[in-house]
Amino acid sequence: MEYVIKTEGLTKKFGKETAVDRLDMKIRKGEIYGFLGPNGAGKSTTIRMLLGLMKPDSGMVRVFNKDLKKERIHILKRVGSLVENPSYYPHLTAYENLEALRKILRVSEARIHEVLEIVRLSDVAHKKVKGFSLGMKQRLGIAVSMLHQPELLILDEPTNGLDPSGIIEIRNLIQRLPEEYGMTILISSHLLSEIDQIATTVGVISKGKMIFQDSIHAMRKHSRQTIILKVNDGKRAEHILQGKGIYANYQDSMLLLSKLSDQKVAEIVRMLVQNGLAIYRVEEKQSSLEDIFLQMTREEA
Amino acid sequence: MLRQLLVADFLKIKRKGFWLLTFLGPLGVVALQMVNYGLRKDYLLQQSDNDWEYYLSNVHSFTPLALILGIAIFTSIIANIENETNAWKQLVSLPVSKMSVYLSKFTALASLLLVSSILLMVFTLLFGVFLDLGEEIPYVELFQYSFYPYFAALPILSLQLWIAIVSKNQGIPITTGVLGVVFAYSAYYLPDWMIWKWPSLMNAWGEPVVNALLGVGLGCVLYLVGMFDFVRRDVK
Repeated sequence: MEYVIKTEGLTKKFGKETAVDRLDMKIRKGEIYGFLGPNGAGKSTTIRMLLGLMKPDSGMVRVFNKDLKKERIHILKRVGSLVENPSYYPHLTAYENLEALRKILRVSEARIHEVLEIVRLSDVAHKKVKGFSLGMKQRLGIAVSMLHQPELLILDEPTNGLDPSGIIEIRNLIQRLPEEYGMTILISSHLLSEIDQIATTVGVISKGKMIFQDSIHAMRKHSRQTIILKVNDGKRAEHILQGKGIYANYQDSMLLLSKLSDQKVAEIVRMLVQNGLAIYRVEEKQSSLEDIFLQMTREEA
Repeated sequence: MLRQLLVADFLKIKRKGFWLLTFLGPLGVVALQMVNYGLRKDYLLQQSDNDWEYYLSNVHSFTPLALILGIAIFTSIIANIENETNAWKQLVSLPVSKMSVYLSKFTALASLLLVSSILLMVFTLLFGVFLDLGEEIPYVELFQYSFYPYFAALPILSLQLWIAIVSKNQGIPITTGVLGVVFAYSAYYLPDWMIWKWPSLMNAWGEPVVNALLGVGLGCVLYLVGMFDFVRRDVK
């Protein structure tokens, strides 16, 4: 299997604290890889090492099957990035900001107009970035990262500090990229909800360690279903069921049952009714990805 | 690669007053002599047999100060352009070597200061001719007084650029910059090994060229030290 990004035993220490601990990351071509973890888990440090901004203490990074340490410049020609808060030159216009980077990347001038069009900043191209809203600055950052038509796009918290409509806008933009431009995308976030609709693969990092790495479907399988019963006398119902050897948990005037077959549910309901209990509600609850994520990161902590 | 970085760096310093300062610095130095000679030309002409030489040394009395002040301001602004929004992380994640990023910043400033020195020579010559100091224009001395301070100040440029680029707290380069200007002001009392004395072209041997050569030598050494330190550091 060919990986676009592959790290082995990646480790970075700041003094005594280990920010990234023997991290193995694998990203295949064409994936949208959601890199998740709470704040301070080591996401940004990992991303900085992927871009060669920081040197790992041990372990190695291979991008496009090349050693980052040896072929950094060659690799970065094919990588676009937006690291944390957007960087820009406030005294220059959006166009000049892109122009300054275009000179270094050696792409055509027409490309500036193209990327401005993609992030919808053409109208304000000749206004100074100083006066831009955070969302516009963030979009300019994405325009910068796409300037040289990279094959790999690394976006660190691209929706940080954006309002809901800004988040949706950037999400839609990112979702289009793999299909339209054949890009592979690594996108980090501390909120699963921001990327669970677009990511194809997720990696969860907590305290510098990768605690889960698989497809988003595999992550969904982790979700547990629960049957919730609301009855007039929960205590008695619990007692009746336990007498029949069915484990039920009574809390908050709800009776919680672990996942059961449809037949079993029908049987339980019949039994409770026959014992003279009134049943108000029978519900199925599926724990959300957010719950799984929180559970994962809590277990590690 | 360096050429593209330089083009980009010159674009980035737009609207930051770099070119204005490049022009104003040497103009100010000569303008002080315009005042000086405007007020008491007859007295000043009596002070020596060689009016040109005396005029040049008068101009030169303010050159080191302007140069060192200019270096402090330039290095501080050029570092601040990248520091302001931590654009270093964007710049260094481009397909360029960190060495050339650093070299480009240094080259941009060294070029601007060189332009300043050329302008200083032109302004000095023009006002000298205007003063009608004599037929024999001492071109060699004019060249020395215009460019030796520049070469002698290269270690200060290397040092200030290094400090400005690696400091998270911009108070540090400003402090060293101000100290440098104070040192330049009291150059006469400083020992020869102090780099802030060098642009004054004073030394124990009475040979200005020594300061220029030492400046180029130590300037290169401090440049390399700064560059390797920059390359070694992680970008936050």
